Parts: sequence; structure tokens; C-alpha cells
Amino acid sequence: MTDYDSYRRDARTWLQSMAGEFGRDARRGLSEEQDLALGRRYLARRYDAGYGGIHLPVEFGGQGLSHVEKVVFETEEMAFAMPIVYFSISLGMPVPIIIRFVQDREWVRERVVRALRGEEIWCQLFSEPAGGSDLAGLRTRAEPDGNGWKINGQKLWTSWAQYADYGIMVTRTDPNVPKHQGLTYFWVDMRAPGVEVRPIKLAEGGHDVNEVFLDDVRLEDSQRMSPVGGGFGVAMATLMIERYAATDSNGFGPGLDALVELARGLDVNGRPALMDGRVRSAIARNHAMRAGLDSITARAMLSMQAGKEPGPEGALNKLFSVRSRQKLSEFAIDLQGMKGVSFDPDGLFTEDWTTSWIAAPTGRIAGGADEMLLNTIAEKILGLPQDHRPDKGVPFNQIPA
Amino acid sequence: MSFLYDDGQMAIATESRRVLDARMAKDRLLTLLEQVGSYDEPFWRTAVEQGWTALAIPEEHGGLGLGLIELGLVAQAIGAHTAGAPFLTAGYGAARALLHGSDETLKEEWLPKLASGENIVTVALADASAPVPPASRVRFDNNRLWGTKSAVVAGLRADGALVWAQHGQEPALVLADLSRVVRNPVNSFDNSRLYADLVFDGSPARLVAQGDAARRIALETLCAMAVVTAHEQLGGAEALMMIARDYALTRRAFGQPIGAFQSIKHRIAELYGLVELARANCIHAAARDGQEDFLIAAADARISATEAYDIAARDCTQIHGGIGVTWEQGLHLHMRRARSLAIEQGNLLFWEDLLVEQMTGVAA
Repeated sequence: MTDYDSYRRDARTWLQSMAGEFGRDARRGLSEEQDLALGRRYLARRYDAGYGGIHLPVEFGGQGLSHVEKVVFETEEMAFAMPIVYFSISLGMPVPIIIRFVQDREWVRERVVRALRGEEIWCQLFSEPAGGSDLAGLRTRAEPDGNGWKINGQKLWTSWAQYADYGIMVTRTDPNVPKHQGLTYFWVDMRAPGVEVRPIKLAEGGHDVNEVFLDDVRLEDSQRMSPVGGGFGVAMATLMIERYAATDSNGFGPGLDALVELARGLDVNGRPALMDGRVRSAIARNHAMRAGLDSITARAMLSMQAGKEPGPEGALNKLFSVRSRQKLSEFAIDLQGMKGVSFDPDGLFTEDWTTSWIAAPTGRIAGGADEMLLNTIAEKILGLPQDHRPDKGVPFNQIPA
Repeated sequence: MSFLYDDGQMAIATESRRVLDARMAKDRLLTLLEQVGSYDEPFWRTAVEQGWTALAIPEEHGGLGLGLIELGLVAQAIGAHTAGAPFLTAGYGAARALLHGSDETLKEEWLPKLASGENIVTVALADASAPVPPASRVRFDNNRLWGTKSAVVAGLRADGALVWAQHGQEPALVLADLSRVVRNPVNSFDNSRLYADLVFDGSPARLVAQGDAARRIALETLCAMAVVTAHEQLGGAEALMMIARDYALTRRAFGQPIGAFQSIKHRIAELYGLVELARANCIHAAARDGQEDFLIAAADARISATEAYDIAARDCTQIHGGIGVTWEQGLHLHMRRARSLAIEQGNLLFWEDLLVEQMTGVAA
């Protein structure tokens, strides 16, 4: 217990010493390229300070600590708005998964260290036009090609692919069997011939995600990370890693204290906004909800410290927090009256209500749409039946389009 | 700090659930709904026999010396069955207030009898819709009380009441002897709560605290009772979620269990979320007892548990369709209890205002 407290204190001290050079003020007004470059420098410093790959094995360049230290550090780091978003997918899923599933250990070690230092970035080539929530419905084909493979197809919503050096990818190797059984998992060099990345501009104006076209991309069989036809299992293992990521009961939007500060300066019907019953109700209900999520997170941390699995209720965080962030952001805009229409192109969604509002739908869709999260809770936790699935057990190439 | 229950606490939870599973009967509770002045005597005997009345009273006063965490777990089991004569929460509140007061003879006289269940003491802080009004309309002078407290829970049966009154220019918290008080029964939608208007006409009462101390103790007592009630609401909401889940698994329509339809399964998944938020806040609040942020934690627990129970009562009934609105099926026991518990210990308007005042320093 006290070990973790002192770890947290040390992490905070180090982060504070970095804030001036890398934190929110240092980032203000930077172009995305400049911000990314700053992020790479920050990751190198973070690695040198012993905060890179906190939970990864020492033999792969990590610190060999537990998920607890990792989550503690990430939670502290969140407060400083460091330029780490470009590396969040890379270090979140692909890096731990290549440690588990790629055979060439020397090569893996080199990749992991470079990724931890921000020198290389990995992306995750999962979703497709025909397979987002229904991941196993993906159509990108991998066909045997000599002693390797040839890839053709299209990926979609691939975060930070425009900066990525490598990717992990799920493909279809056999369309003649039911959809989950015909998938195979690879890593791919994003600089390989036939890989083309086209950024997509999102509603909020950012370019976080991309289309990735794969046209006769040649892979060696050593790039295969699952048995042929066993790709879905590795894909699930990849998605499970998220359970040990830091959460934010603010839904990665502004905190409730920011709403209170905003309301302090505003009037409703000529009275201080904080005296208005509707404002008070919104603050109180959101406080109760966020306090509940914080308490769930705190108990999950205690479970992990005690060497136990955290309870399944951790699955609620994204669902409840992002949804409430969306509504609270709308409310914050409303409260300001006509001043609410202004927009700061440099605004951070963790600090600016308008930026938070316009980016909130992305949060409710990316990484598991609300409806999929509800299905997961209903089926995996409560034991309710699956939806009616006409494609179940049907060979992929016979599923009605 | 939010905590994990230890083995002893888990044993209390399991045992209280087991006892109530064996001894509670829906039909008995349904009958009580249509009788003014009756309560579930088998439950109260169980509560006394199991030592639940003594649970959170210090050992030196005849109790078991446990606290809000353990009592909360028992309340949760009670809530799952819509069990409970209303005396347990009120008795706990009264005992806490006496402990915080400075009159040692009151403690010596009443705490052992509260612990043993020999005496029932309720809490009457509210005037009309204000859970703790700035100045009560009930007056306390020369160790006597004048005025009326409306719809006091357990009022038809209690031997004593902790009353929020006005003593000259100052508020006072007093312990009233109810033996000769006029009790006007309130016919309510949840009759086993034994609501009554208590008419004090020079009734004997003894001072527990006055002035700022009285105000502080009253609010602290209300918060502690609210945390117990929040656990009870949590127990009710969780039971309804499981009832809805079980029904959705067995009831078939259009060729499949209705739980396979997203309109049903998502509704139950949302209930799961509300229940877990309420549980998290209840656990946290019980652990913050005695700390500076206890009021905030209690308000969070109260708000999320009230929300969870109300929505669970509404949605579980809806998921059942026609059978859900029959007398015999009994889901209305939860519907009724969700509302009576939402009012007892102050409605959400009060708790929202209290929470925001604690957070921002701005009163409503």
C-alpha cells in the first residue's frame, strides 16, 4: 500500500518537472507535426526516467512492474495533458501483443524499446467498412503466396496509421468456414509496397483515424502471429488488454470542478447560476455518477494490489462516463448563452467544453460502441442470451449480404 | 478510501441474506399493505434475535461495536426482500445522536435498550418537506414538547423519538417519551412503515444537544441513516435487476427468450450499471464515516441508490408486462418501497442541494 503511494508521489514529482517542457502550455499553438515531435521527445525522456513500459518484462525493455504501477502512472500523467495521444494505441495493444505472439525475440525487443522511446509507432488494423462492432465480419483477404502471404483489402478507422511504422492486422484466410474460424493474425510493415494510408477528417476537425488500403501486400510467414484460422483468439486477447488501462470518470472530458467554476461566473434569470435548481441538480447527479465510477476504479486497484482479479463492473466506466460527458458538455455550452457558440481550434477535449462536446460521439463509438458495451454486460456478466444472429455457424461466403 | 469487504463482513452479508431468504414471505408483506398499524413482527423478532439492533452500538453500551459498513450489509439484505420494520434504521440514528450528545444518563438509559431491541426509538427531524428545517415549528421548553411532526416513520409503534425542535432562538435535539403522545395514523401506500402524525402537547422530553451542536448532530445523524437507507435501496435495486434478468431468461415471445431482444437486455444492462454505481457509492460512504467528506459521500450514495431503486422498480415492472402489475406477483412491494425510502431521510431535492452546498459553498 505505502509502496504504491510512494510510487505515485515520485511519479507526480517527475511529471511536474516535465510539465513546463511537454505539458499543456508547451503544446498550445503547435501544429500536429510539431506536437508529435514533442511527444517523441517526451517518450524518450519518460523511458530514460524509468516510466516507459512500466508493466512490460525487463528482458523486453520494460520495467517489470505490475499493472498497478502502470495504472497509477497513467492516472497521474493524465492531469498534465502530455503529448502522448499518438502513442496510446501503439503502446496500449500492439506492443504487449507482439511480446506475447511474435517468435523472433531479438526483433521484438528492438521494436518494443523503439516504440517505448517514441521512435516507432504501431497501429492496429482491425476495423473495416464491413466489420467494426462485428469484427469477425472483416473481408481483408490473406492468400498463400509462395512461402508467405499476399494481402488485399481495406481497413478503416485505423488510429494514427499516418504516422505508423508497423501494424497488427486481422485478415480472412478462409471464407469457406464460419466467420470466426477463418481469420489469421499478422504484423505488417506500414512502409511495405502496396500499403496506402489516407487520413479521414472527423467531425471535430482532427485526423486521428485513417483508411488503409492493402494492395497485394507481401508478408513473410514469420509475420504470422496466430495459427492459420486462429486469428480471432489473438484479436480477443488484444482487446482484453484494455482492462488494465487507466480510466477517467470524466469520460476524458472536462472535470465537474470545471463546470462549477464556469457556473460561478454566470447568471440564470438574474441569479447566480449555482443557485439555480437545474444547475445544482446536474452537478449533483454527475457528481454521484462520477464518484461511483471513481470508487469502482479504486476498488479495482485494491483488488489488483491484493493479487485478485478486479470485478466486472470496471466495464461500466467508458459507457457511463463518456455518455455523461456528452450531455454535460451540451449543458455547459447552454449555460453560457450566446457566448457558448465560440470555438477554440486549439482546445483540448479534456479542458474545453465545446471541444469535448463535438468529439464526444467519437468516444461513444470508438473502442466499443455503447450498444456493444451493453451487449457485453448483458451477455457476459448477466448471462442474458445473445442477439439473434443469422450468420451463426454459416460459412462466411454464404452469409446473406 | 474505497475498500474491499473483509471475510467477517462477507460473512455478515451471507448470513443475513440466508436468514431472510428462509424467513421472509411475500404473502405476509402483501397483507400488511392493506392494514394501517401493522408491521412485520416475524422480521422484527429476527432482527432482534440476530443482533442487528445491537450491531452498530458500542460494546460498552450493550452493543456489538461494529459500524456503518456492517449495518449497511444487513440493510442491503433487508432491502432485497422489502423486509424491515422501519425501526432498525431509525434506532441506529437515534443511538448515534445520543452517542454524540453530552448527556451520559440518556446514553446509559437508552442505548442498552436500543441494542437489545427492548425499546423502539424513531427519529423525527423533518417538518413538512424539509428534512432538517432551519427552525422547527415544534417547540421545546422546560423539558416539554409542543407541536406536531407529520408522517413520522415508525411513529405508530415507537416508545421514544429523537425530535428536532426549537428551543427559544436555538434549535434543539431532544429525546421525547411517546407513551402518552397522540398518534394519528397515516394511511399510506407502504403501510408497514407505520407512519403517524405525532402530536406533542406538553409531552416530556430531554435535551440531547442544542444550538450549533444540535444542528451538526442532526445533519450527521441524517447522513448516517441515509447511508443505511441507501444500502437498503441498493439491495432492492439489485434484487429487481436479478428478478428482471431471470424473467427475461425464461419468458419467451416471438420464438425466443425476451432477454434476447436488445430493448430488454440493454434495459437490464443499464440497471446493472446503476446498481454497481450505487454499490460503489454505498461502500465508499460507509467507509468515510467520521471523516470530513462524509456528508458528500453520503449524498452521493443517497442520490445514486435512490436513482437505482426507482429506475429498477419502473423497468423491472415494465419488463414483466401484464403479470408485473398484478397484486399477487408483488413487484409493487418494491415499487412502493422505492418511493417510501426515497422520501424517508429526505428527498433528492434536499440531497442535491446539500451536495452542491458542500462542494461549492453556495446554498440553494
